[in-house]
Amino acid sequence: MQPQVNIPFSNTETIPGMTITQMMGVVTGSTVRAKNVFKDIGAGLKNMVGGELKAYTELLQESRNEALYRMLVDAQARGANAVVNVRFATSSVAGGAAELLAYGTAVVVQ
Amino acid sequence: MERLSSSNEVIRLFVLIVLSLLVPLLPWLVSGIGTAVYQPKKKQELLQREQAFAKTSDVLSTLSKPLSGKEVKEYQVLMTNVVMSPSWIQILVGGILSLFGGEINVFTKVVDWSRREAQQRLREQAAAGGYDEVVNVRMETTTLSKIRGGKDKTTGIEVLAYGTGIKY
Repeated sequence: MQPQVNIPFSNTETIPGMTITQMMGVVTGSTVRAKNVFKDIGAGLKNMVGGELKAYTELLQESRNEALYRMLVDAQARGANAVVNVRFATSSVAGGAAELLAYGTAVVVQ
Repeated sequence: MERLSSSNEVIRLFVLIVLSLLVPLLPWLVSGIGTAVYQPKKKQELLQREQAFAKTSDVLSTLSKPLSGKEVKEYQVLMTNVVMSPSWIQILVGGILSLFGGEINVFTKVVDWSRREAQQRLREQAAAGGYDEVVNVRMETTTLSKIRGGKDKTTGIEVLAYGTGIKY
């Protein structure tokens, strides 16, 4: 587990109970991940019957947390103390790898 | 005596041919069972989970603020995802149907199922964290692929549902 970055973030336009005083620009965090061969084979077998591929669900969840963490580090480096309007986007790059992106607006709140 | 052994040979050959035909068909048999038994069972489970939550009004909303206008005390971004794939049989049927165009019913069902699953997990996560409402819910869908034999092959679709859980 990564060290915690203690920055509040929300996917709404405001942080409840606080006012935005300054904008620090758009911050992003992304990561490209792939699963190992063995889990790929397992998923390939599960593919036969259809339904949920748990290995991939977990992989993407972990990776998305990593992307989120990188975004918060970026925000902290810019001197922001909150991130609002966080959005997630995913795209598959090539051969089993997926890119996970988290982005939002870094702000100073009081 | 000679004749008998030759008829035995024929039978053995016949059995071999049948077996060699059956073995490649075995995965398709498994796929058929999966489509006909496993998937409906999982869907039934999902339906029961949804019904348990349907007694109270839905906590998910795509509005950016709670309608009631109550003051928010605590908030947290919640996100859930699920990766699902159609079975081989469904891919085969979908491939045939896509020659004719129009709605590909088998794929619609799989995508719809995964989206319901992702939403239900968000509801459950909100309930587990004690959140009164989840506002600004967004949903994303992506296809996942892997390389096999030099070309990209779709393995599944990922549905992500996220929103801000709030406590009054």
